[in-house]
Amino acid sequence: MLKQVKAFFRPFERVSSRQRLAAVGLWVGILLLWWVLSALGTRHIFPSPAQVWQGLANLFNEGLIVHIFSSLGLATQAIAISLLFSLLVVYLSPLPALKPLALFLSKCRYLPLTGITFYLAILVKDARTMQVSVLTVFMSLYFITSLLAVLKDIPTDEIDHARSLKCSRWEVLWEVVIKGRLDYVIDVLRQNLAIVWMMLVTVESILVAAGGLGVLIKNSDKFMNHGRIVALQLVILLLGLLLDWGLQTLRKGLFRYSTF
Amino acid sequence: MTNAYQQTDTILHVENVSVVYGAKTIIENISFTEKNTVRPNAQQGQTIAFLGRSGRGKSTLFRVITGLEKPTSGRILIPDYNKPINETGQPAKPVAEGDVGFVNQRYTLFRHKTVYQALMFALRKSTDSEAEKQNKVLQYLADWGLEKVKNQYPNELSGGQRQRTAILEQLLSSGYYMVLDEPFSGLDVGNIESVKKAFHLITSSHELNTIVFSTHDIELAVELADSIYVMGYASSPNDDLKQVGTIVGHFDLKAMNLSWAGTFDARHAECAKAIKAAMLAS
Ligand SMILES: Nc1ncnc2c1ncn2[C@@H]1O[C@H](COP(=O)(O)OP(=O)(O)O)[C@@H](O)[C@H]1O
Ligand SMILES: [Mg+2]
Repeated sequence: MLKQVKAFFRPFERVSSRQRLAAVGLWVGILLLWWVLSALGTRHIFPSPAQVWQGLANLFNEGLIVHIFSSLGLATQAIAISLLFSLLVVYLSPLPALKPLALFLSKCRYLPLTGITFYLAILVKDARTMQVSVLTVFMSLYFITSLLAVLKDIPTDEIDHARSLKCSRWEVLWEVVIKGRLDYVIDVLRQNLAIVWMMLVTVESILVAAGGLGVLIKNSDKFMNHGRIVALQLVILLLGLLLDWGLQTLRKGLFRYSTF
Repeated sequence: MTNAYQQTDTILHVENVSVVYGAKTIIENISFTEKNTVRPNAQQGQTIAFLGRSGRGKSTLFRVITGLEKPTSGRILIPDYNKPINETGQPAKPVAEGDVGFVNQRYTLFRHKTVYQALMFALRKSTDSEAEKQNKVLQYLADWGLEKVKNQYPNELSGGQRQRTAILEQLLSSGYYMVLDEPFSGLDVGNIESVKKAFHLITSSHELNTIVFSTHDIELAVELADSIYVMGYASSPNDDLKQVGTIVGHFDLKAMNLSWAGTFDARHAECAKAIKAAMLAS
């Protein structure tokens, strides 16, 4: 018994799947215990499970499902536009003439969100268009940065291999960079999804007119309902994880050789 | 020393090649000419080996020979078989990307193509019909023991399978030349035998097929090659070893009557000893 406990605290130790499960169970137990303890008494640090459940029910009545689809729609639209734009910029970045543009756009990710939003607000009036453009601009900058890193990591060996098979430079670009790294594009999307997801909710809560999960967060201020806030956080977290898992599965399903 | 190009029977002509990266000279004054090997009563391509200790510029020279790297000075010429033979022989042309097949030390392949797809891709410029290409690829896959793995991706192949795929790909795509950087490193005995067999398959299938390879196994080079170049650091006048690679020795095994013996006897061992001495001195 003591030996087993010791094994849990030895770096790089291999444990059986039962022991792994036990470790997960332990943490879940701690979490639940903490939840119950912190929900005791009249002045809560944390809402009780019942309150969270109640909050969830309230959310449903406020149109949670509609808002979820609104958010997913916004995310899809913004992701599609920014991914297309980023891919175009990055795929053309091996051209010396266009490299500076790609690098410059990547550097722009340090621009503050509020400034851009302010500027875009002058140009765009409609709330939905506004949301899409803010998200698109920001996601593009992150996508470009990550995709440039993918390109940079392509070993010269692979490019030389294509050249040795009589590939023209454009063919090298097509075979090695575009076709040979499609799975990485999905992974870049997945890696950046967390930032996208966070920005999405923020953008929605700035411009409430178009609906979405962000609006529900914004409304929480009014209600000061702890259970509702926690329920909403959980919904947003689970949705994000679901998208993450979906993209990971898509990559592995589409590209058998994609084993990272 | 310059060696003028002579068209007659020349298959590979390297003239005064040097490569400089920034301020560092990697290789210099590399010149040699390989002639078409003629073996009585047999179809025989040529096998050229490069030996030398690490860092003497073998890989760098190979990148130049394959046209992947432009030499800082000098040139590489190969016969231009698209032009008709004139009174002085086959006209020559500077080597270009893709003329010479190259298999690097890591057997790089397209990560997103299966063995079959990769070989079909290598044949994409061929004028054969689609059916002919497919038959050709299937035949090669069978001959090279890759039939079972034809629908697998590089990350699903063993080292030996990857290497054979890489060699085949180059064989199908390039002309008569194939450069292999350390093709025997890190292989088990079985795979070493199959690479040797592949070499024989290549050199016996066409008179002009030429294999250039490097290795650290001197005996193996003596056994396989009919021409061996030793690369080492050039000695500077004050006898310090200058850290610039060049050719410090050439062993013409045809002239020494050691090629194609089929055995490794005492005279081969003697030659290997001489090569080892040359390598250690540079
Ligand atoms: N791209 C490069 N830039 C600078 N130095 C290089 C480069 N490639 C190789 N070298 C140097 O050239 C020398 C010869 O390398 P290499 O041709 O790989 O030798 P070998 O294959 O004989 O071991 C080494 O000292 C290596 O560090
Ligand atoms: Mg090397």
